[in-house]
Amino acid sequence: MTLEIQKPRPIWQIMFSTHHTDVGLLYLITSLAALFMGGTLALAIRLELFLPGSQFISDSMTFNRMFTVHGTTLIFLFILPFASAVGNYLIPIMVRYKDMAYPKLNVIAYWMIPPAFALIWLGFADFTWNAYAPYSVTRAPGPAADMWILGLKLLGISSILGAINFIVTILKCKHPDLPLSKVPLLAWSYLTSSLIMLVAMPTFAAALLMLLTDRLGLSGFFNPAMGGDPIAYQHLFWFTFHPEVYVLVIPAIGFMYDIIPRFSRKPIFSHVSGIAAFVLLSIVGFASWAHHMYATGMSFTEKTVFMIGTLSAVPASAMHVFNFIATMWGGRIKFTTPMMWAVGGIALFFSAGAGGVVNSAMPLDFMTHDSYWVVGHFHLFVMGTIAFGSFGFLYYIFPFVTGRMYNEKLGKIHFIMSFIGTIMVFFTQHILGLYGMPRRIFDYPPIPEWIAMNQFITIGAMIIGIGMTIFLINIIYSSGKGKEANMDDPWAVGGEKYYYPYQSKTPHH
Amino acid sequence: MIMIYPINFSLALEDDPGKYINRKAEVWNLFYRMMTVAFVIGSVVSGTLIWLVWRFRESNPKAKKTKYEEQGKW
Repeated sequence: MTLEIQKPRPIWQIMFSTHHTDVGLLYLITSLAALFMGGTLALAIRLELFLPGSQFISDSMTFNRMFTVHGTTLIFLFILPFASAVGNYLIPIMVRYKDMAYPKLNVIAYWMIPPAFALIWLGFADFTWNAYAPYSVTRAPGPAADMWILGLKLLGISSILGAINFIVTILKCKHPDLPLSKVPLLAWSYLTSSLIMLVAMPTFAAALLMLLTDRLGLSGFFNPAMGGDPIAYQHLFWFTFHPEVYVLVIPAIGFMYDIIPRFSRKPIFSHVSGIAAFVLLSIVGFASWAHHMYATGMSFTEKTVFMIGTLSAVPASAMHVFNFIATMWGGRIKFTTPMMWAVGGIALFFSAGAGGVVNSAMPLDFMTHDSYWVVGHFHLFVMGTIAFGSFGFLYYIFPFVTGRMYNEKLGKIHFIMSFIGTIMVFFTQHILGLYGMPRRIFDYPPIPEWIAMNQFITIGAMIIGIGMTIFLINIIYSSGKGKEANMDDPWAVGGEKYYYPYQSKTPHH
Repeated sequence: MIMIYPINFSLALEDDPGKYINRKAEVWNLFYRMMTVAFVIGSVVSGTLIWLVWRFRESNPKAKKTKYEEQGKW
């Protein structure tokens, strides 16, 4: 068993290694750094909105910069690299191969992230994580905007390289005795999300180049003054980033497919329906991008197509939820920290999905468009499902990565505080949106309901923040001084050995 | 795609000149109906999940070993 902490090596050996667990560790550390940096910005945003008027942020431009970098960091530098970390650790093991298919390409994909991280944070752009034209073309101040574009360009290339590596590893390097239909659902989630990434990402890569040349005055694709069309940018952006939602959520569902059977002490209810639901989601994910753009003046026919496309994701999502419920039914569930996160994630996935159904109905979308409802809906998905799945899985692979156990009590406190905080913040944001508060505003009129709800949300955010601090202390302390884990069965649930024993046969290179 | 044009056409028929619709009332009506559906389904699924967690937890006096535990493999 390769244990990073138990077998100390100089840091440069890990940094310049091409071994999949080393690259996985680098991804993991980077993603956690991004989590805490992006999370700190979130707390600052919430503190600023505690009361109307300026609290400690001097102007709206600074506020815009903060939520732009908050969103960019947490989506592109926390969630995606965290999924890559887990994939690097486990995909070769799950398909019984010695490493990723292209180890050097793998490490190149990782090393594109730190410069991108630096470009995004040193630039501190202000045009939201969407970078909508024409503002991003004509008004967004440089060099911040140009640094953001280059940073995202690097991240896009990194994601494409990573996706190619996962696809080839799963399809071409799996053990000959392992049919694709028997590959674990977590590996299937990586296969489908990587395929989505491969199809979706080049569009945004092209859009970023067009945006950059527009900003340099060399072209006018999105600049109305030069005959360009800003709406075209939105189409290109959402063609990538609506499927990207599935790129983010599918691995999180894959994490749950690993956690839930183990702690329910039962096999997954239906392996086949899990695969079918992943494949369905990866197809219908491409049929719904323009539901983000109902308000741009599309024809009724176009809107209907995208409404139906969006709703067609419901059956596939429900298949996952029912698969989880049927797996737990009749089990003997041990509520360890990873299991609590997984079950909490399922509950919030369902709530976020219900909000999404409401959003997809055209007239309702017009009402909620650009309001705090959208903020609540998006964050309930990203935090309540994707981050919950990710935290659960981080606790789940903690013994595998470090050889030690985390503190179970602190892990459960982290979950409870995050669950309560998530409900307080993101459910309330839905209601705040219905009360008419627009998103992305630095100041708001002193309407009593708005003030009360904003204060309640800020308190919820503080609860999440305290939970995250406990989490940070727990992982730092436990990775150095935690109790040594029983590597066969760290949670004493019985059954097959915890992670796959082939790892021990893998030479470290 | 086959359905879109008939739907489009039938909705266009609703917009006869002189027939005024209070769109705000229509929208809120649709909103409440959809929220009712969403909450009913949500309550059933969430209720099932809560009951499931309570009933099949390891510490429930009624909990018994699954057949897979006896085989030591799942």
